Amino acid sequence: MKTVSVAKAASKGIVMGKAFIVVPQNLEADKRIIRESEKEVEIKKFEKAIKDAVADLKILAKDSDIFAAHMDVAEDPDLHDSVVQRITDELKNAQLALQEYVDTTVTLFESLDDEYLRERSADIKDVSKRIMCGLKGIKSNPFENIDQEVIVVAEDLAPSDTANMDFKYIRGFITEGGGVTSHVAIMARSMEIPAIVGVAHFREEITNDDYLILDALGAKIIINPDEATKQEYIKKAQEYKEMKEKLESMNDLPATSKDGRTVELFANVGSIADVENAVARGAEGIGLFRSEFLYMENTKFPTEQEQFAAYKTAIETMKKPMIIRTLDIGGDKELSYYKFDQEENPFLGWRAIRISLDLKDVFKTQLRAILRASAFGDIRIMYPMIISVEEFKAANEVLEECKQELKQDSIPFNASIQTGIMIETPAAVLCADDLAKEVDFFSIGTNDLTQYLLAVDRGNQKISKMYNSFHPAVLRAINKVIEAGHKHGKMVGMCGEFASDEKAIPMLLGMGLDEFSMTATEVASARYNIRNLNYKECQKLANEVCIKGTIAEVMELLNSFGK
Amino acid sequence: MVSKKVTLTNKTGLHARPASNLVAFVKKYKSTVFIMNGEKKANAASIINVLTLGAKQGTELEVIADGEDEAVAVEEIVKFISELEE
Repeated sequence: MKTVSVAKAASKGIVMGKAFIVVPQNLEADKRIIRESEKEVEIKKFEKAIKDAVADLKILAKDSDIFAAHMDVAEDPDLHDSVVQRITDELKNAQLALQEYVDTTVTLFESLDDEYLRERSADIKDVSKRIMCGLKGIKSNPFENIDQEVIVVAEDLAPSDTANMDFKYIRGFITEGGGVTSHVAIMARSMEIPAIVGVAHFREEITNDDYLILDALGAKIIINPDEATKQEYIKKAQEYKEMKEKLESMNDLPATSKDGRTVELFANVGSIADVENAVARGAEGIGLFRSEFLYMENTKFPTEQEQFAAYKTAIETMKKPMIIRTLDIGGDKELSYYKFDQEENPFLGWRAIRISLDLKDVFKTQLRAILRASAFGDIRIMYPMIISVEEFKAANEVLEECKQELKQDSIPFNASIQTGIMIETPAAVLCADDLAKEVDFFSIGTNDLTQYLLAVDRGNQKISKMYNSFHPAVLRAINKVIEAGHKHGKMVGMCGEFASDEKAIPMLLGMGLDEFSMTATEVASARYNIRNLNYKECQKLANEVCIKGTIAEVMELLNSFGK
Repeated sequence: MVSKKVTLTNKTGLHARPASNLVAFVKKYKSTVFIMNGEKKANAASIINVLTLGAKQGTELEVIADGEDEAVAVEEIVKFISELEE
């Protein structure tokens, strides 16, 4: 038995299972010129890899058009013949021949500037990945064939990895990279799968034969526990489950402090399933609808009809206010079907509203879809990454254009739809007063705001200790934004992870935050917290916090609050 | 070997669904079938190949078949192409 203590859990809970170590896939071709005598072997290898890929795809294609199209590509005679020709005539090994064929074809398709062909080139790339896995003897889906309860241990997990997972047996995640705001952490919280991230070199400590207890409450991992420890944790897990159920029994009560200050408790969502979860967990609205999933889980820009259908389903499920954030890509979020230029500083680059204002057609498609859905409930629009009043006005001009078009076509929408902005750049904080005059609401995005204010990359493990939303600069910024919003009678919310932080909640309540938006699974405990607070005391706390000059002093004050 | 010319009249050309439909259609013949668009030659059983022809509405194509059912194949494929809709 061995215990590894970690700094912080990304998603709470206690689970146990066998370790399942994800081996990173290197799909780079092993490039080699072969001897005449090896030709036959290489061709056989290639044909076997195709046969296996087709067999896998056949199963997947049963209920997916995407995989049916992949199967056509895998069986394509040109793919077969051209690769075989490269092996025979140019004496290249199968991996190199495949890579060359794919590179040439993809370049050709992409050079034709045709959306349909770009889609097909994404298919070709995906299929070639599958065949390359076969050639290299790696499983293309590492999560296949899991037949017992496991805890997935990986360097990091990307959206494409988690999309491949069958959650029947996956109990928890441990990753070496990533912070509490990484993809895996956010996904784990919304699916209520316990996770611990940022455990450096953990894979070196274990093998696939080891049994793990993932204690994401006590921030501990126990390797090969003895029977007594295992029993102790089974009991702890049960207690945790009961406590959670108790909190959830308060779902229908408002988030009102003991002395009568009521705030709104909203949920952050990134899929339709999340919206259902938000309803089940007693969220009073959606404070952040991340529209990216519609774009990232697609092979092309989603059409107006597709988006409209999704937004309509969401608002009809929620039946309460829903703030849709317009497309927020760039930075660390890319699209398989759109080529982004390499950038020196992607987080300071072409992303979010900057992309929307440049790709006006894409932006208009989204705004029209949102407007049409606004006929079915209280939908509000939020623009991300705003740095100036001009940007907000430019975005609203495009919105106005869409409204006119819909009006002409007699399509119903909410003409007085509210528009607001994310406050996540230092510029927006400093211009909060000017922005407040224009917008209907603010929503503070603490994840990016912290990163930009402190100039600390939130994905960089080396400086993860410096990424701290309790830094006085961040707290003062939040306070300033709330004051500016209230001065002009505007609602101020927060949709970063900070809004659900137990230590932060009293101070944020005291600063006057109107709406707290968080992962749905945190709503119940936030409600419990707020209902046990005294607003006047929190106001006093907020005033004191804002004059503290160091993180240590801030934490001392917050830790002693209420004790 | 038999060949015959045909002009694409459908709106989409040999692209998207019409292209996939053609590839699926061609698979039932024993002959090897090629489609020529000027100098460009595509194996009609290959969606990747057919798409790279870039054949649009109004393009004149040549269908070439080689094999035991070549005569029937050319006739029927030409008919299939001339009757493409979308």
